[in-house]
Amino acid sequence: MASNTIIDRVKTELQKYPPFNQLTDNVLQGFSTKIKVQYYQEGEIIFEKGDDPKPYAFIVIKGSVNLTETIEQEEVLIDVCDEGDIFGVRHILAHDNYYVTAKVAEESLIYAVPVQEFRNLIENDSKVALFFAAEFASGMPEREYSLAHSVTLRKAYSNNPCKPVLVENDTLEIHPTTNVVSCAPDVAIQHAAKIMADRNVGSIIIVNDKRHPLGIITDTDLRKKVVAVEANVKNDPVSSIMSSPVYTIEKGKTVADLIILMMKTNLRHFCVTQDGTPNTPVEGIISEHDVVTAEGNNPAVIIKEMMQCRDKEKLAMQREKAEELLISYLQQDVGIHFIANVITEVNDALISRAMEFAIQELNDEGYPKPELRFCWLSMGSEGRKEQLLRTDQDNAILYDNPPEAEAEKVKQYFLWLGEKVTKILIDCGFKKCPADIMANNPKWNQSLTGWKTLFEKWILTPEPKAVMHSTIFFDFRPVYGNMDLADELKLFVIEKVKHGQGFLIFFAVNALQNPPPLSFFRNFIVESSGKHANEFDIKARTMMPLCDAARVLAFELGIKEYLSTSERYEKIAEIEPQLKELAKESGMAYEILMRLRAQNGLKHKNSGRYINPNNLNKLERQALRNIFKTIDSLQSAINLRYQLDYVRG
Amino acid sequence: MRFFWKRRVKNRCKFGDLPEQVCSYLAINESQPIISKIPFRSQRFVVLDTEATGLDYKKDKLISIGAISLQDGMISIEDSFETLIRQIETGDKESIPVHGILKRDLEWAAQEEAALLCFLSYINNSILVAHHADFDKNIINHALQKRFGLLLLNPFLDTEQFARRLEKGPFEDPFHKPGDYSLDSLCTRYDIELNDRHTSAGDAFLTAQLLQVLLCTARKKGLTFIGDILK
Repeated sequence: MASNTIIDRVKTELQKYPPFNQLTDNVLQGFSTKIKVQYYQEGEIIFEKGDDPKPYAFIVIKGSVNLTETIEQEEVLIDVCDEGDIFGVRHILAHDNYYVTAKVAEESLIYAVPVQEFRNLIENDSKVALFFAAEFASGMPEREYSLAHSVTLRKAYSNNPCKPVLVENDTLEIHPTTNVVSCAPDVAIQHAAKIMADRNVGSIIIVNDKRHPLGIITDTDLRKKVVAVEANVKNDPVSSIMSSPVYTIEKGKTVADLIILMMKTNLRHFCVTQDGTPNTPVEGIISEHDVVTAEGNNPAVIIKEMMQCRDKEKLAMQREKAEELLISYLQQDVGIHFIANVITEVNDALISRAMEFAIQELNDEGYPKPELRFCWLSMGSEGRKEQLLRTDQDNAILYDNPPEAEAEKVKQYFLWLGEKVTKILIDCGFKKCPADIMANNPKWNQSLTGWKTLFEKWILTPEPKAVMHSTIFFDFRPVYGNMDLADELKLFVIEKVKHGQGFLIFFAVNALQNPPPLSFFRNFIVESSGKHANEFDIKARTMMPLCDAARVLAFELGIKEYLSTSERYEKIAEIEPQLKELAKESGMAYEILMRLRAQNGLKHKNSGRYINPNNLNKLERQALRNIFKTIDSLQSAINLRYQLDYVRG
Repeated sequence: MRFFWKRRVKNRCKFGDLPEQVCSYLAINESQPIISKIPFRSQRFVVLDTEATGLDYKKDKLISIGAISLQDGMISIEDSFETLIRQIETGDKESIPVHGILKRDLEWAAQEEAALLCFLSYINNSILVAHHADFDKNIINHALQKRFGLLLLNPFLDTEQFARRLEKGPFEDPFHKPGDYSLDSLCTRYDIELNDRHTSAGDAFLTAQLLQVLLCTARKKGLTFIGDILK
């Protein structure tokens, strides 16, 4: 009959930290009873690399413990554990010897938990299991949790992931597309693809003879399961590749419902049936696209208003509204992919409208638009569809080669156009680019041949400035005008990069410029050198390394689409099996960072670049710590892939 | 005197006159006394604290005992002990007017006896540790003697004395303030968070954490054996 007073004390201590704060009182009571309290002074060793696993896992309650490894007789810091951190778990579960040495850095109070208690906890509580899931995987350092489950965790532990308080109008019902395209399960894939193409839809529902839904095929399925596989499967029945079962819902769902559902399920299509189960006939289908553009839904309204704006000032007003939308999405933990898409749609609409204003004005001033293909390019983060907060402008104009006689006139026209549009964008809150990478700069306002010459020069002579420019310009994306012109330029770049092998190496070296920090220690960032800092540049230290690495790989692999960093990783995972896991984790890492930066920026009314660990909770720190490790692995992989050790030395 | 009471207790045990826990407590302490030549690390310490109705151990009654063990540097939550010896006032109200006082005393006695027996089984032949140990030792001995004619056989370690000895060496500092070695001051000095103060179990847990620090310091000073710390 252990003392309740003492057990309660232990419970109170544990409840401060995840995953213990999620346990039921009963479970926590039993767990607390089994705790052994240990006290260590600075410099003491709790376990040493190679030791047999102790029958305990350890939780730091007070003080801190360094996890180190000795590599070539040098002690290398692997991680720092402070209050609430758990270490020494994996070895127990894996029945392995310790990989690292745990050395007390500051006088510490440690709770030792018997192995069996940990096992019980993991076996009986799915949330806890999730928390430790990655510990089961082999080949990971002492306390690395995989990102995949950091994401799930953040959702599982989020205080109220589903609070449906969207801004006005979001309680509006979404009307499903009732004219559902469907086919029977034995129809050939090729035939189904043809139906989709003919009807111009992105998905087809597979139904039985009573029209009950059996599964769904989307564009993505066709891409991944048909086009990307070597075997010829086009004549196989659709049932062989359909995603099944299809997620069915009732009629009458609101925008908010759907956003939350998409967030929870990670699905982009929902099938509406008579009673919401798969056992009644299909009545309609709702896709992510329907949600984004739903009548009454804010982004759609904003976009519509923008497109119908009669004067430039109103554009700025609409853009402010999008900011409010962004805040509410972030607060509700709406998927970052979705948010980025919405904001990109809004920005693109704004640019398009600004273009129309500018073209009209020039026309009114007596300068009609030349009869010539042209295209507005967004660069950098805007080009990658990643701009959540309004940052600096990075844009350019690309026009088809004019007849020689008109070259000067055309050039002048597009410069004026660039001038007018960038001015409108400034008025809408997009700051001037300090490096002057804007469409009103003659350097970045060129004919197709002009751009090709410039890009080729960068690729053939990759001096530092050229490489730096490439990181911005090679992320171009056509926003307004003739997209095929941009496609031509993109293909040209891919081709040149492929043949000028040296460039990729310089590009890769550039991607490794900034190593991520090592870890956190209370309110400090710990660097690999062991130094501490009280804030860190989330952009330079985590986002840029991820973004740069994705770009290098995307160009090496010849990816033609205009993709965001996460989409690039998705694609890389698809076509480069060696990098599959790492690419997936990197993509997820990037989305977490985008969210964190946006939240931080909104909170402090700035770009959100500098993160103070003070403002992060334990779970966010753990997620970030995992991200640091992911970036570290990714940089090692890049280093190896391009054999950069030979280049850099 | 000491020899005398032991023989009496043993005799009563022989005739089945005393509870089994008392007899085995005596037996194990007789057969396996604390050996001063073994390292203290592997020794089981029971850190305890008592609460009483007042400060006079001869007159006042034991209200609660809280205790927790420390062995191999680990305080074991599972191996803790807490007992409250209190009247339950909400009992049978109608019977109180008739034999109220008598019933209360009987209940008290029964509770105290049960608590003491549990406690004896719990402490076994461990080293007992308490802050200002004399009071705890006296009040428990008083109760044990009254009930079973028994006295504690375990060696006692007083954390107050122990801390003094470790901090100052054998020479007393004449300038120390009276409060310097109170549990509060020591915990504050050694950075032990003061929680659940003034409940016997809470204080026992704090004292156990203090002992952890003190034993660590002792080891650093080259003390290894039980004999080294039980002066």
